[in-house]
Amino acid sequence: MPASPQRPIRIRFFAVLREQAGCATLEVATSAATPADLYRELQAGRGLSFRADLLRVAINERYGAMDAPLNAGDQVVFIPPVAGG
Amino acid sequence: MFELTDKPIDNAALRARLERPDAGACVVFEGWVRNHHLGQPVNELHYEAFDILARSEGDAILTEIGHRFTGCVVLCVHRTGALRVGELAVWIGAASAHRATAFQACRYAIEEIKRRLPVWKKEFHPDGAAEWVNCTAEATARGPQPADYYARQSALPEVGPEGQARLAAARVLIVGVGGLGCPAAVYLAGAGVGQLTLIDSGKVELSNLHRQILFGIDDVGADKAAVGAAALRARNPFIQAEALVTELTAQNARTLVAGRTVVLDCTDNFATRFVLHDACFPAGVPLVQAAVHRFEGTLDVFRRGAGGCLHCLRQNRGIAELEASAGSCAGGAVFGPAVGALGVMQAGEALKLILGRAGDETFQRTHLVNLLDCSMLAIAREADPACPVCGKLPSQMTLAPSASARESVVLDPGEIAALGNVCRIAQLDAGEVLDADRATAEFLTVPVDDVAQLRELIEKTEVPVILTCRHGLRSAATARLLRAEGRTNIYAQAGDSPVIHSTGPE
Repeated sequence: MPASPQRPIRIRFFAVLREQAGCATLEVATSAATPADLYRELQAGRGLSFRADLLRVAINERYGAMDAPLNAGDQVVFIPPVAGG
Repeated sequence: MFELTDKPIDNAALRARLERPDAGACVVFEGWVRNHHLGQPVNELHYEAFDILARSEGDAILTEIGHRFTGCVVLCVHRTGALRVGELAVWIGAASAHRATAFQACRYAIEEIKRRLPVWKKEFHPDGAAEWVNCTAEATARGPQPADYYARQSALPEVGPEGQARLAAARVLIVGVGGLGCPAAVYLAGAGVGQLTLIDSGKVELSNLHRQILFGIDDVGADKAAVGAAALRARNPFIQAEALVTELTAQNARTLVAGRTVVLDCTDNFATRFVLHDACFPAGVPLVQAAVHRFEGTLDVFRRGAGGCLHCLRQNRGIAELEASAGSCAGGAVFGPAVGALGVMQAGEALKLILGRAGDETFQRTHLVNLLDCSMLAIAREADPACPVCGKLPSQMTLAPSASARESVVLDPGEIAALGNVCRIAQLDAGEVLDADRATAEFLTVPVDDVAQLRELIEKTEVPVILTCRHGLRSAATARLLRAEGRTNIYAQAGDSPVIHSTGPE
């Protein structure tokens, strides 16, 4: 099977995920097809504690789906449980 | 207007911006930083926001409020940054003509903000410890799990994991969120039907509450479908419940039923019943229909290919007359548990259809339920080979040949004006009166349940007859009955009558 192409993706972290990741922004080259794939990669590499099903995701500043396709240059934000108000 | 700010919130200035001469009520919610959380002392909070998405989501929430609570003006400001105990974290003000709308809009704003806005807070304790709210191991571990939610249902051998998956994949449309639709929706949501769509153009009225179990006193005046869908989401976080605040019409019915696993007819008028049936039947979408009159109800399940259709069933004109005189308007008398029982039975039939547990007999029976003598009777129902709708092969089926005739019976004011000289007859229920200033000269009146007297009046008139009743439903049914008897030139005025009022408490 040929390797999937590596694409550049920008990631922003907020709140508890920012602290766990140790950075607020990150640029990666990844073959992850979806945010769910991308989160699995990051989880292993950076010790992120959240199960993927507890997160929401924003792609290019809009709420999106964890199984949506990722495109080169997308900005992805993983959103831990919110606590406004 | 929604704002995020890292500066202290000036609540007096915000309140002043809401002042307007047409507002009779202003409800303000202030979220304060308190000195404890889950039994732990707290001396500071840090709020962090995903700025762009928080602003767009905040704007989206306020736009939704604009659609749901007409005429209500809402301002909302949320803080970011470091806040001390006693500081304002969020300020919401809702100004409206009446207090009920202002309370509802304000409540909606804060609940949606807490649920959707990408804002997080970190608590700092006096001992130096700190934690992100809702993000601790305990908070995420104790979140509800679908397996626990459905445990008592999936333990049924007839359901099991496979049935639970079928339910999760099901898409169900509930038409009418009233006495039938409310209990039906509660059980379908509880069972885990993955996508529920509620359609109803009406608003919650005080006289609904004795039987419409999704609504409370604070919901009066709000859109039934929207309140109902929110209540279902609160009941079961694992399903999607959407609201369509609109009417089902001959124009949108086929689109709305397309792709549904099951459709529930929980309406209270025969025009909509036929439109819905005629959309479901050719599409092969099962339709679970219930109707209630006072203490009694009927339950039918229709699906193409078995047991006939609604047109076969309605060949009995005696039933039509009963319906026209029985009344289905909001003023109609109804025993709450009767609609409750029938709505719950509709949910049961829908779940059996989804689970593949409905046999042929499901489509070949009319069930009569009587709560006064606590009896049930199943009547065998067969397709009428001469039925103009289902008696033909599906490919030849011309649907609802009377549909266009039915629609032209109900006229809006412009269409009535085009008729020229007409005879207007108001059908009044007990406790209803005509607007004395305008109407007594223009309208003849008859009791709504006296079709015989109406026939006599009509015999004496040469010009087109326009029937009207308080909500337009019984007039439409009566006009269709009189047409079915061979009379022409009989019409009903569409919608609520502006000249008929209730004298009693509703």
